[in-house]
Amino acid sequence: MKPNRVIVTLLVLALAATLLLPFANLAENRLVSGTPYRFWSALTTGQLVAALALTVSLTGMAVSWYKRPVLNGNATLVCCLCLLLLVIYAAGDFATRSLEDAGPAARVSLSSAFWAQIFCLSLMMIDVLQRMTRSIFMQVFFALFAFAAVMLLFFSGALDQLSIMREYANRQEAFAGALVQHMMLVISALGPALVIGVPLGLLALRRLRLRSGLFSTLNVFQTVPSIALFGLLVAPLSALGEAVPLFRDLGIRGIGSTPAIIALVLYALLPIARNTYAGFAQVPTAAIEAAQGMGMTPQQILWRIEVPLALPVLLSGLRIVVVQSIGLAVVAALIGAGGLGTFVFNGLGQYAIDLVLLGAIPTIILAVLADCLLQLLVSLSRRKGVT
Amino acid sequence: MIELDQVTKTYDGKNVVDSVTLSVDKGDFCVLIGPSGSGKSTTLKMINRLIPLSGGTIRIEGQDIASVRAEELRRRIGYAIQSIGLFPHWTVEQNIAVVPRLLKWSPKRVRERVESLLALFHLEPGQFRDKYPHQLSGGQAQRVGVARALAADPEVLLMDEPFGALDPITRDSLQEEMRRVHEETGKTIVFVTHDMDEALKLASRIAIMDEGRLVQVGSPREILNSPANDFVLDFVGQSDLGLKMLACESVETRLEPAASISRSAPIENIRSQFGQADHVWLLSPEGQVEGLLTEAPGGQDDLDRSLRPLGQESHATPEMSLKEALSHMVWRKTGWLPVVDGDGRLTGEVGLSKVMERP
Repeated sequence: MKPNRVIVTLLVLALAATLLLPFANLAENRLVSGTPYRFWSALTTGQLVAALALTVSLTGMAVSWYKRPVLNGNATLVCCLCLLLLVIYAAGDFATRSLEDAGPAARVSLSSAFWAQIFCLSLMMIDVLQRMTRSIFMQVFFALFAFAAVMLLFFSGALDQLSIMREYANRQEAFAGALVQHMMLVISALGPALVIGVPLGLLALRRLRLRSGLFSTLNVFQTVPSIALFGLLVAPLSALGEAVPLFRDLGIRGIGSTPAIIALVLYALLPIARNTYAGFAQVPTAAIEAAQGMGMTPQQILWRIEVPLALPVLLSGLRIVVVQSIGLAVVAALIGAGGLGTFVFNGLGQYAIDLVLLGAIPTIILAVLADCLLQLLVSLSRRKGVT
Repeated sequence: MIELDQVTKTYDGKNVVDSVTLSVDKGDFCVLIGPSGSGKSTTLKMINRLIPLSGGTIRIEGQDIASVRAEELRRRIGYAIQSIGLFPHWTVEQNIAVVPRLLKWSPKRVRERVESLLALFHLEPGQFRDKYPHQLSGGQAQRVGVARALAADPEVLLMDEPFGALDPITRDSLQEEMRRVHEETGKTIVFVTHDMDEALKLASRIAIMDEGRLVQVGSPREILNSPANDFVLDFVGQSDLGLKMLACESVETRLEPAASISRSAPIENIRSQFGQADHVWLLSPEGQVEGLLTEAPGGQDDLDRSLRPLGQESHATPEMSLKEALSHMVWRKTGWLPVVDGDGRLTGEVGLSKVMERP
C-alpha cells in the first residue's frame, strides 16, 4: 500500500499556500492595497467544516490509493471537484457578505492562496484521470463536466460580487465581442496556415534537398519574439496597403487583424509543415510498395494508406498550433487586432490586475478546451492497429 | 505463360538488366537467383511494371504488358515482398481483401475468399480475421502477405525474397507451405532469392543471373550437374551443395569393376594381382569382403599386416547414395569402398576420384 505521491505533494502545497498566503483581499477602492484575508477568516464555519472534511477524505484516499484504485479514483475525482467548487463558491460568498455594508467602490479580489488551491486541485484531477483510465473519451467527458459545473456557478450569480466579475459586468458586451474576435483571429489564421503548411510539409518529403533549408527558414519565424513580429509587420504592410488600393480595401494595412493573422500564420507554419512531413515520413515504405504492387492508383494510395497513417501526427501538429495561436493572439491586441488581449493590456496600463485576469483566464480556459477537443480528435484518428 | 524478350533496364547509362530473354511456362515455379546487384529484383519488378522497361518487351499470356494500364495489370498479378508491407491500420481480413475490393467483388465473395485463403495457409479464420498486423508473428504476417498476393486468384504470382527476413525454422515451414500451395493452385510463380538452398527446394526451373545477364536456365538437376560456366559453378557451390548433389545420386552410377582374390589363394597369386591393379580386395574363403590390400604382401605372414580391414559396416550397396558412400570413405580414411550385393558378394567398387567426376 503506497501513497499516491503526486496527490500528497499537491495537497501539502495547497495546505501550505492556505496557511501562509492570503485568500482574498478587501479594498476600499481599486487603487488602495486593502486588507488581506486568510482562508479561515474568509469562510463561514459551515464552509470551513466542509472544506476540512473534503481535505481529510482526500488525504485518506491519496494515502490508500493502491488499495482499490478504480473506486478510489472516482471518489478522489468527485472529492477534488467538490472542493474546487466549494473554494470558488466560498470566495464569491465572502465577497457578497463583506460588500453588503461597504461603499460602492469597495471590492474583493482573489489572492494567491485561492489561485494556488485552484491550481493544485486541477492538477490533482488531471493526475487521477490519467492514472484511472486510458480512454480519452472519459477524460474529455470529465473535463467538460467540470467545466460546465464551474460555468454553472459563474452564471448563478454567486460570484457576482468578486472584483473580476464586476470588471466583467462592466464590460459584458465588450467581453463577448473580444472573445468572438479572439476565436476569429485563431480560426482565420488556421485556414491559411494549413493551406500553406501542409503542401510545404509534403514538399519537404518529396524534395530531400529542400528540407533542411525549408525547416530552418520556418524556424526563424518561430524564434522571433511575438511582440517583435507583430511590430515588424506594421511598416511593410502599411506601405503595401498605401501602394495598392485593392489590398487596402481587403483590409491589408499596418494595424488591425490582418497583420495579426499574418503573424499567427507565420508562427503556425513550422509545426504544421514539420508534423505533415513527420506524419507522411513515418508511413512504412513497404506498405506503399505493396500498395503499388497490388494495383492501387496514386490517389488510392494517398487517401487509403498515407493519409490515414499520417493523420494522427498531422492533427497533433494542428493541436500545437491551435493552443499556441490562442496564446499568441493575446499579443495581437497591441496592434489593434482586438481579442482578449485588449483586457490584458488595458489592465496592465491601469495596474488593474482583475482586468488582466479577465483577459488571461478566458484565454487559458479557451486553450485548455481546444487542447482537450483536439486531443480527442487525435485519438479518434489513431486507428486501432497503429499503436 | 510469361515471356521476357530482350528485356533491358538502363540506369545512368549502365545496363542493370541486359537483354534478358526468358520464358516461364504456365504452372512453372521459376526462381530467379543471383548475387546482390545481379538485376534479379529489377527484372521481377519490370514484370508488373513497378519499374519501367528501357528496352525489350514482356508478354503475359501473349499480351504485351505495355498495352494495359499499369494498375489493371498489377491487379492481375500477385505480388509479395520481403518487407511484407501489410497495412498497419487494417485488419488481416481487410489486408487480404485489398485487390478483390479494388476489383469490386461482392462483399460475400470477398469474405468467402478471405476465409478459404486463411485456411489454405493454416490460419484459423475465426482467430486471425480481425487481428491487426502488429499482433502477428513474422511468419504469420508473411503468410498473410502471400495470401493477400493470391487473393484475386491472379494468373501469375511474383515474389521478391519473401522469406529472406524470417528465422530459419519459420522460413523452412513457409517454403514447405509454398511448395504445397504451388502444387494445389498450379499458379505460375516467379520467385527471387539469393539462397540456393531455397531455390533447390522450391524451383521447377532456376534462372541464374549475374551483372544483369541471364547466365543459365534449367531444372535444378541440370544446373547442379552441368553448370554453364565458372560463375555458376562458384555460385551454386555454396555451403553443402556438393553433398546435396551427391545425395541425389546412387553408388550404382559410379560403379567400377574391382580386383579381388580369396585369402585361401597362394601368396604368389595374390602378389601377382598387383601387376594389373594398385589395390586388391581380399575375400574370406566364404567369399565375404575382408578388407583392402594396397601393396603386395611380402609373404603369407605379412598378409594380415598389410591388410586394411573393412568390415560389413563399411560396405557400400548399389542403391546407397554417393553422399553416404563418401561419408564412409572419410570415416574409414580410405579411397575406395567395396560394393556388395544382397548376399554380401563383391560386385564392384566405388572410388573417391570417381565420385568427384561429374556424370
